[in-house]
Amino acid sequence: MDFPTKPGEYDPINYVPHTDSHGTKELWKTFWILLGITVFDFVIYFVMPASGLRNVIFILFGLVKAYYIVGAFMHLKHERINLALMIIVPTIFIVGLIMGLLYEGNAIGLMK
Amino acid sequence: MATEQTAAFEKQPMWAGGRSPFNVSYGKLMMWIFLLSDAFTFSSLLVQYGAQRFSNAESAVTTKWPDPASIFNHFPFMHGVHLPLLFVSVMTFILILSSVTMVLAVEAGHRNSKKEVQTYMLWTILGGVAFLSCQAWEWATFIHEGARLDSNLFGITEQGYKHLESVGFGDHFEWEAGDRTFGPVPFAALFFIVTGFHGFHVFSGVVINVVVYIMTFRGVFERRGHYEMIEKAGLYWHFVDLVWVFVFTFFYLI
Repeated sequence: MDFPTKPGEYDPINYVPHTDSHGTKELWKTFWILLGITVFDFVIYFVMPASGLRNVIFILFGLVKAYYIVGAFMHLKHERINLALMIIVPTIFIVGLIMGLLYEGNAIGLMK
Repeated sequence: MATEQTAAFEKQPMWAGGRSPFNVSYGKLMMWIFLLSDAFTFSSLLVQYGAQRFSNAESAVTTKWPDPASIFNHFPFMHGVHLPLLFVSVMTFILILSSVTMVLAVEAGHRNSKKEVQTYMLWTILGGVAFLSCQAWEWATFIHEGARLDSNLFGITEQGYKHLESVGFGDHFEWEAGDRTFGPVPFAALFFIVTGFHGFHVFSGVVINVVVYIMTFRGVFERRGHYEMIEKAGLYWHFVDLVWVFVFTFFYLI
C-alpha cells in the first residue's frame, strides 16, 4: 500500500487523499448534542402521555441524531457533495416503503 | 515524491477517469457502499417490524402489541424494581461514548499520533464489549421472563395494564397471575432478530477494532504513512451506532 514512486505513474486503487485534522471541537459538540437529545427522549417519555405526537417527536429526534452521527462522526458533511448524495438519496426511498407497508399492515390488522 | 504526485493528480478533472470522482480512496468508497447496502438490510427488518406492529394493533389481548415500557423495565442488581427505559438509555449512552472515542482515534490518526490512536481504540473496544455485555444481560432477563423466538408471553391483559398503571417509576413490580397471557408472536421474535442482528454487527465491529488496534500497535499504519484504516473501521462503528438510534426509537421509545 505505497504510493507509486515513478513520476507519471498513478495507482487509483492505492490512492489515499490527504486528510487534515479539523480538531476535536466539533466532535465534542456533537457528543453533547447526542447526549442531550437522548436525555430529552428519556424525559419526554415520562412527561408526555403516549400519543401520535410523541411518536413524531421521537422519530424527528432520531433523524436529528442520525444527521449528527452521519454528518460529523462519519465526516459526510466534509466530503464531496456527489459522495454525500450517492449515500443519502437512495435511503429516501425507504421512507416510501415504510409508509406503504405501515398502511398495509394497518389494513391487515383491521381485517383480522 | 508521493505528495507532489498526489497534488498533481488532484488537479486533474474529476470525471476524466483515472481518479476517484468522489475524492476518497477506493477502500473508503467501498465501505460507504457496503454501509448503504447494510442500511437497506436493517431497513427491511425495521419495516417488517412496523408492518407487523400495525397489523397487531387491535384490542383483543392475543393480537394487541404490548407496551415496551412494561417489559423492558429491569436494571441489573435492582430486582423487582419498575425502571422502564433506564437500562436501555444507559446502553445508548455507552454506544454514543464509544462513538466519540472512535472519532477521537480517527482525529489522532490524522495527526499520525500512534499513541493516542492506540489509547482511543482501546476505549472504543471497551465500550463495544460493555454494550454487548448489557445486551446479553437484557436478553437473559427477557428470556427468563418467558420470551421465546416462537412464542410470546406478553399479551398484557386489562388487569395487567391496570397493575402497571398503579406502579410508578422506581416502585416494586412483579407480574401477577392473570396479568398476561399469550400475545402476538412477532413481538418477541422481531425483538430477538433485530437486536440480535444489531448485536452481531457490534460484535463484528469489536473484532474489526481489535484487528485495527493490533495493526496500530505493530506499527503497520506508521510504516504506511497514513491511518486511513482507522477511518474505515470508524465508518463501520458509527454506522452500528446509527442503527442503534433507530432500534432504540422503534423498539423502546414508541
